[in-house]
Amino acid sequence: MTKKMLWKMMLLVALMMIAGPALFGQTKDQPFAGGHWVSISAGFSMAIASGMCGLAQAKAVAAAAEGMARNPGAAAAIRFALLLGLVLIESLALYTLVIIFVKVG
Amino acid sequence: MHETELWITRLFNDHLAGAGNTLTGIVGMAPEARPWANFVTMQLVVALIIIVLFAILKPRLSVDRPGKLQHTFELAYGFLHEQAEEQVGHEGHHYLAFFGTIFFFILFCNLIGVVPGFEAPTMVPSVPAGVAIASFCYYNIAGVQANGFLKYLAHFAGPMPALAILMIPIELVSHLARPLSLTIRLFANMYAGEQVTMVFLKLTFLFVPAIFMGLHVFVSFLQAYIFMLLTMMYVAGAVAHEH
Repeated sequence: MTKKMLWKMMLLVALMMIAGPALFGQTKDQPFAGGHWVSISAGFSMAIASGMCGLAQAKAVAAAAEGMARNPGAAAAIRFALLLGLVLIESLALYTLVIIFVKVG
Repeated sequence: MHETELWITRLFNDHLAGAGNTLTGIVGMAPEARPWANFVTMQLVVALIIIVLFAILKPRLSVDRPGKLQHTFELAYGFLHEQAEEQVGHEGHHYLAFFGTIFFFILFCNLIGVVPGFEAPTMVPSVPAGVAIASFCYYNIAGVQANGFLKYLAHFAGPMPALAILMIPIELVSHLARPLSLTIRLFANMYAGEQVTMVFLKLTFLFVPAIFMGLHVFVSFLQAYIFMLLTMMYVAGAVAHEH
């Protein structure tokens, strides 16, 4: 097992140790006591979604720019495919945003 | 999260509350004091604008001396027609009326949010959901009309009969996910655009919110085009067999 994998596993175990009392540390009197964790996880999940969406769109734009540079005659078709791909990738990040609006406020 | 009323909605609620309660009573909702919601009156305003626009256009259409309005709409029609032919094929023009309606309706709904005193009806989830359900029904009906009911259902089974057990649930889920994704894409884009503009309006003034509002206008055009394009692709997939 490499050092990187060991660090990742330790991080995972630490997260699970934190998550346990937060999610399940409810007594019979209080209702769902993980209230403030919703905001924190909303922030993290939106950041992760936007980051990965940014990476995916970067790959799409890079491929499209190179295609248009190599073959300027096909620029219209490549531009169309690029726009369609960008919008569909964007919508994946927006699904996360919608979940956040449903859960927080 | 009850929004404040626009001036148009206030007019509707003050004078036409009875009519509103009758309309909601048709679907079985209980009558309330101020039944008109912002998005309902905004949709009516958008429909009125589109009707007036085309009513002004029609008498000005002429073969010999086309005016500016005719040129603009010829550009729009040419663009829509070319897209429909490219996506659906030779029979694209049969469905062009629906595609054009969707495009103009969503475009005007999105853009009316930029005007002060009005609000984009596509900002509430109900309006994109309504248009998405209409799209869903339309492409299924178009598929049934083009191919016949049994043949249309048969194409859910995939290319080979042996794969049918695997393909049918996958195809069903993917078809049901289509109106969902159309709805959420349009709603989230419009809602996020308005929220971002509001946040920057709270932080600074004049130029920075205007930049984000400009981005919102661009996104409005793009989202209307994408909604129409995806509807075209779904219709193309539904009518595609053995034509």
